[in-house]
Amino acid sequence: MSFKLVKKIVSGNQAISIGAYKGNARFGSGYPGTPSSEILEHFKNYPTVTAQWAPNEKAGFEAALGASLAGVRSFATMKHVGLNVAADPLMTSSYTGVNAGFVVVVADDPGMHSSQNEQDSRRYAKFAKVPLIEPSDPFEAMGFMQYAFIVSEKFDTPVIFRSTTRVSHSLGMVQFDPRTLDNEQELELKKDFRKYVMIPSNAIQRHKVVINRLEELKKFSEETPLNKIESGSNNIGIITSSMAYNYVKEILPDAHIFKVGFSYPMPINKIREFVKQFDKVLVVEELEPFMEEELKIAGINIEGKKYFPVDGEFNLDIVEEGLHKAGILKDKTTKVFNAFELPKRPPALCPGCPHRPIFDILHSIRNIFITGDIGCYTLGALPPLAAMHTTVCMGASISMAVGIAKAQSKEKVVAVIGDSTFFHTGIQPLIDAHVNKANMTVIILDNRITAMTGGQPDPSTGFTLKGEDFQPIKIKELAKSLGIERVFEVDQYDYKTTKELIEREINHDGLSVIIPTRPCVLAPKKIKDKPLTVVADKCTGCKRCLRIACPAIDFKNKKAIIDEVLCTGCEVCKHVCPIEGAIVPKEEK
Amino acid sequence: MNITSVLFVGVGGDGIITASNIVAQACMLAGFDVKKSEIHGMSQRGGSVSASVRFGDKVYSPTDKKGSVQFMFATEKVELLRWVEYLNPASKVIANDRIVPIIGQTIDENKIDEMIQSLTVEKLIKRKFSEDAKKLGNPRLTNTIMLGVLSKFLPIDEKYFFEAIDDVLPEKLRTVNATAFSYGVNLAKEYA
Repeated sequence: MSFKLVKKIVSGNQAISIGAYKGNARFGSGYPGTPSSEILEHFKNYPTVTAQWAPNEKAGFEAALGASLAGVRSFATMKHVGLNVAADPLMTSSYTGVNAGFVVVVADDPGMHSSQNEQDSRRYAKFAKVPLIEPSDPFEAMGFMQYAFIVSEKFDTPVIFRSTTRVSHSLGMVQFDPRTLDNEQELELKKDFRKYVMIPSNAIQRHKVVINRLEELKKFSEETPLNKIESGSNNIGIITSSMAYNYVKEILPDAHIFKVGFSYPMPINKIREFVKQFDKVLVVEELEPFMEEELKIAGINIEGKKYFPVDGEFNLDIVEEGLHKAGILKDKTTKVFNAFELPKRPPALCPGCPHRPIFDILHSIRNIFITGDIGCYTLGALPPLAAMHTTVCMGASISMAVGIAKAQSKEKVVAVIGDSTFFHTGIQPLIDAHVNKANMTVIILDNRITAMTGGQPDPSTGFTLKGEDFQPIKIKELAKSLGIERVFEVDQYDYKTTKELIEREINHDGLSVIIPTRPCVLAPKKIKDKPLTVVADKCTGCKRCLRIACPAIDFKNKKAIIDEVLCTGCEVCKHVCPIEGAIVPKEEK
Repeated sequence: MNITSVLFVGVGGDGIITASNIVAQACMLAGFDVKKSEIHGMSQRGGSVSASVRFGDKVYSPTDKKGSVQFMFATEKVELLRWVEYLNPASKVIANDRIVPIIGQTIDENKIDEMIQSLTVEKLIKRKFSEDAKKLGNPRLTNTIMLGVLSKFLPIDEKYFFEAIDDVLPEKLRTVNATAFSYGVNLAKEYA
């Protein structure tokens, strides 16, 4: 048999997927969330695996845990805030342990490129007493992922595999034989009442197992090659992990580096020995002082966050500045060019986005309080649309609206949520709103896709991650089945009808559900009608059309103009324009 | 450490990611270690987008340090200026002479051009590359023409770029992009 090594440039997320496959994982589930989404999107391409989107991270986690108990190596994927949703099964799966290897892949987002907070998931490993593995680039991501399944089986535990945006979304070179598999083995579904049924009498015993396992993991952390020393030529000692390692290596190529890849539990003894060689040792880690605290608790003399920020994403400049403050780096290169004052380029809803008319309508209604949710439509909070007063987490739009509606009657409450988010954690709050008779209006923006993360299918799409068709779930019928009487669908490109409906239902006392039905303009297939144009003679320059924040509309020489390449012909600008005939299809001009 | 880096900047939808993938692939084929990083805005279209490609014997960081970029590939002029802190007097800049409007704001193009002219970089190639692409019959070839120009300044043999175009682009786009690339290589002579 000949071996043909393939050399490729892949992203961290692709590398995680390749590592999972090479590690013989055959089941993956999760909920899309930047920066984790591409892991399953890549994994699904292997013909012999099951890869699926779940309605939320808890469901995905539990499905993968089930597959593990059935004897199949499995993993769940999510972003950091998703681990909050899956925290419940995480805590107890630490007690049950696994059968075949089970890995929880979680991608943190330092710098909040597209997230509502920048929590550090490493804290969850300590909380759940499970091992934590952290790669620093795609090459490591591939190898470490394979290794994670072995650790999971060896210690009968879920393993948290933590990435960050910069690891997941940066690209680097890997080399692999696409056919080789890691110890393929047959495991069977196990019935083990004392291990898998966490009633108190069993759980009390299992907790002791977890505590003992942690002691074993501490020993393992001292031995594993994931924690290694890279000797240097000067007298500087650095302890680092994940992406921060790369910045340190580039700035201080001659330093002695303790590279942590297995970061919970920490290799305390090995680090204690390492630290002894130097007068001063720095811990360089992104976000929380996780390693620093572990080492200080063990009485090891190190410094860390004294010189580095606990918020925001690291980069070469920040790490260099910290090393400078700590006195490790003497000369610092200076910036050459100064920044210019420039207009910011804020994110905007796409041209033709069906969310735009809804927010324009809501913006125009007085005395309403609008609770928002997580999705593209969160951009409806930004001016000029400015039609959203809260955003906390997925599903919170409806549940917070219930609280606000029950607590006061001065302002009418409107909850805005997307279809994927509704299936994620919006259904239960809608049941709450109905059961507890909240006087509110719920607008479920059903564009039939998880748009913000790049167009992944959801239960209303009608096809799965693997491309198999199913009968899509109709949100209208689902809401009606809960017993809600006032449920309406509307085509929001029909601006006037939509506006009348929304105004009527907001004024109606009791619970109403409105489902705007236009699909996402980008997915599943791009929808484009004839572009529009502005008739310059008729345009009065009132700028009403600019208030819908469409990237296709610009303003020059006191007139609106429409970029015909960007325009999708959705006609929302035409509907809001006060002048009849000022905006027309391009060829009718 | 001897690392060469190219910073790609522009607006969502400009093709920054594809252009940077082609360069990264060419670097790998030429035998370098290479790392790449992308930053996308929250929006599918219209936000600021950047990507860095860094190559050399061994590359650790996928992102650049301020003042350390040897090459900038800018598909839009306001975005070029947004990233000037990454340049230094030895940098070479290849920019498409165009502005993408920003919602709710008016941009004074003359002022933007003045700012760009005030930069004392080693080479500034600012040109309406979109017009060149139109001449070739497709405005979407702009980036590939710019890549052709860029390639003449990089320590990478032309053949690896042609190979990279084949590897990165779907089959039906390969021939036309190879032509656009050659066009750019020829154009580079004007700026040598």
